[in-house]
Amino acid sequence: MTAISGRYEQLIQDLKVEYRPQREWIERQGLFLIVGHFLSGVAAGTWFFSLAFGLHAGLAAAYALAAVSGLAHLAFLGRPERFWKMWRARNSWIARGFVGLTLFLTGGLLYLLPLFFSNTPWSSASFMAKSGYYISIAGMIILLLYKGFVYASSKGVPFWTSPILPALYVAYALRGGVAALLLILALTGDGLSHERLGPLELWIGLSAAVMVLFYLGVMSGANPVARRSVYELVRGRVAVSFYVGTLIVGLAVPIVLGLAGAAGSISTVTVAAIALASVVGDFFIKYTIAKAGIYIPLRPRPAHSRVAAGH
Amino acid sequence: MRWGMVIDLKRCIGCYGCQLSCKAEHGTPPGVFFARLLKQEEGHYPTVRQLFLPVLCFHCDDPPCVDVCPTEASFKWPEGVVDIDAEKCVGCRACMMACPYTQRYFYDEEQYYFPGNGATPYEKARSQRHQTGVVMKCNFCRDRVIAGKEPACVANCPAVARYFGDLDDPTSEVSRLIKERGGYTLHPELGTGPAVYYLPT
Repeated sequence: MTAISGRYEQLIQDLKVEYRPQREWIERQGLFLIVGHFLSGVAAGTWFFSLAFGLHAGLAAAYALAAVSGLAHLAFLGRPERFWKMWRARNSWIARGFVGLTLFLTGGLLYLLPLFFSNTPWSSASFMAKSGYYISIAGMIILLLYKGFVYASSKGVPFWTSPILPALYVAYALRGGVAALLLILALTGDGLSHERLGPLELWIGLSAAVMVLFYLGVMSGANPVARRSVYELVRGRVAVSFYVGTLIVGLAVPIVLGLAGAAGSISTVTVAAIALASVVGDFFIKYTIAKAGIYIPLRPRPAHSRVAAGH
Repeated sequence: MRWGMVIDLKRCIGCYGCQLSCKAEHGTPPGVFFARLLKQEEGHYPTVRQLFLPVLCFHCDDPPCVDVCPTEASFKWPEGVVDIDAEKCVGCRACMMACPYTQRYFYDEEQYYFPGNGATPYEKARSQRHQTGVVMKCNFCRDRVIAGKEPACVANCPAVARYFGDLDDPTSEVSRLIKERGGYTLHPELGTGPAVYYLPT
């Protein structure tokens, strides 16, 4: 048992302001949720492109990332020992995400084991491995999709309740997948040629940039609470993370380096830099969008008024 | 039957009686408010007036918090009360993000009100009733109502500004007040169908 914490004092301050920021999904334990979302997105994207390009190292990396993302999700939960109860996938996108991760980890294991170990009871051409392949793809699709919908179904935070957000998260997950493959390519030096992945990374990076701007444009024309979130993102308490992490490192650097690489030869170090910057951007888009979330005020504020809350 | 509450803003004197009686009834820890009072000042000197807005869970007819719960920990009783089964809650806090009225609180760790003095006997007794790592909220004092009493905030309002009853019964006091005094809900545009109505000042 502890004394009244700074968290309590923070809550009391938050209850006094009109635009109360959400903190549960970004601060303290909440940061694990962002890490979990980030890793599961990159995992799904990496799995997708590794299957497409037949890169076994990428498949293994995707599986490891998904497993770590599961641990991050557990670390976020207030009662992690009850995680197995999350099966109510009828309406809840969180439950769907849990089902997706379960399918991905189960199917991925069935598919990967014979690829890497020759003494497994089933071969990579067996029914078991093929089933694992399709199960993992089903899980991958859910992992690509569910995060955006988790946010979009949060009615209390208008900045998130947009159909554009799931599309944005899918785009970033795919970009994270390409970035992870580029990173593997730079580290291992074998497998694919980056001439094939470079243009893909550039194209997805540009698409992501367009989607970010489109999303912000739409939300800045939405209701006052969403506009306030956009304000927090571009000029308020989230601005530094947004400009440095999301825009400069996450979008500008990979796009500029990618364009420079497209114009001439590109070194391994540059490939790694593009990949790392893209991955950092993938994390920060999730971090900044979550942090900019603001709850709907309980009632519209009349002119010349100030709100207080008892505690 | 659908339980509901009417709060007469004309009668509310902003005494915090509802908030304190709720705390006493449920023994909620620091940082958890099943009932709360918002105060708002309007206008410029010398024509300033203070507005009070007591708030609690609105027990929506179509509660977004129930839909997003991955474990069915958030659920609705037949009489319309939205409640949480603490044994099922995993502490994902999706319901907090879904609630448009921000009436849910996450109880992350045990805390007490008098730092340096340890937990009082009352707080020790109270902490046995609540689990950490789960979300908490108002349930219209369901146990009290089933026992034939009014919710604590209604029973202890010294200004008699709160009324509790059956919204589905057109002859109930709450239905009559809503009809005669023009009762309204907060954020009707969201389509959640709150069961807490306000009577205008």
